[in-house]
Amino acid sequence: MKKITALTHLYRLGALFIAFIIVFLLVRQWATPSDWNYEVWYRGDSLTEVGNLPLTHGGNESCQVCHADVVKKVSKLRHKNLSCESCHGPLATHVRGEKKIADAIVINQSRGQCLNCHAELVSKPQGFPQFTDEVEKHTTLIEGEVCLKCHDAHDPTP
Amino acid sequence: MKKIAADFDELDSVSRRKFLQYAMSGAATILMVQMSGAAATQGRGKGWKQMSTKHQYAYVIDINKCIGWGGCVRACGQENDVPEGVFRTWVERYVLTEDGVYVDSPKGGSEGFEPVSAEIQKKAKRSFFVPKMCNHCENPPCVQVCPVGATYKSPEGFVLVDHDYCLGCAYCVQACPYGARFINTEKHVSDKCTWCYHRVKKGKQPACVEACPTGARIFGDLMDPESDVSLIFNDSQWMVLKPDMYTSPMCFYVELPREVV
Repeated sequence: MKKITALTHLYRLGALFIAFIIVFLLVRQWATPSDWNYEVWYRGDSLTEVGNLPLTHGGNESCQVCHADVVKKVSKLRHKNLSCESCHGPLATHVRGEKKIADAIVINQSRGQCLNCHAELVSKPQGFPQFTDEVEKHTTLIEGEVCLKCHDAHDPTP
Repeated sequence: MKKIAADFDELDSVSRRKFLQYAMSGAATILMVQMSGAAATQGRGKGWKQMSTKHQYAYVIDINKCIGWGGCVRACGQENDVPEGVFRTWVERYVLTEDGVYVDSPKGGSEGFEPVSAEIQKKAKRSFFVPKMCNHCENPPCVQVCPVGATYKSPEGFVLVDHDYCLGCAYCVQACPYGARFINTEKHVSDKCTWCYHRVKKGKQPACVEACPTGARIFGDLMDPESDVSLIFNDSQWMVLKPDMYTSPMCFYVELPREVV
């Protein structure tokens, strides 16, 4: 049997220490993503992944691709600052690839759609057109309650 | 006794030198393995450097223009697939009265606002809407506290979340002084406004900015001296939320009343 000396204890301790470091490095290697960027301390590919998320809204410029005449016409009317997609729905539900998958109809044609912006509230900025109580009398004069019956949604004159 | 002394002698002379030699060579091997590993990973993760451009994006919110219709909140939800009940951007209504300040934000303001109760309206001195969102701070506390590096600041100034790497510990949710972060109820990771990084990269405006009919929300590049945000940044009176937190937010509020927190 081998003789145990003071040196043996030291060797054992050293071996244990080295084993611990090796295990630590292996675990670290396994837990760190392969594209980890040590300079900035985040996963380098994450930026590309976030940037490549699909678009849902195309903006008015994407409507122009097919509906140039309508976009041009509306751009001179009262509601020119509105995004088409606010009422007509996002592009992704209308077009996929280059094919139309559904009509971009305005689902909500009730007066609620108009009052969403134009209902009177004290919090709204002064000068923004808001319908006062008088509009209630005004709408009851006309049969039904649909604003669009008389007003053009793209160019609503008072 | 003599024997032990002899052992120590041995240790003192040849063996200690040998032990140190082994130890040193072992350490050197580990160091080399480490360095080669680090070099390899650095080579793979260089994606961000190619995208690094000289941009510094900023967001301007004009309190006097917001009508509180909630279209921005809806557009954000559709664009970013935000689960119901949580919001990346939301609109608050402030009513200043003699007794105090009333603040509400039903459903994040996504469906507009009902009129305030007659009692409050009688006392009201001033009322306005405040759109809120992630401020994309220059010195973001959420990035500092993330234990795994799953949230970070992009070279263009976007504070983003790595959904694949996030643990969902919600430490960042607590750290954000603006309450802009939440745990995504479907993915179970931390989530927040990205300033629509995916849209901006393709040359488009964030969804909330496009949806805003009155120009209360403006987004642009401060490095471009002609951009709207640059003009407002240089010419107008603007404020940031909670300036005493030293987070240096990149959302600038025009005409922000001092009651807003």
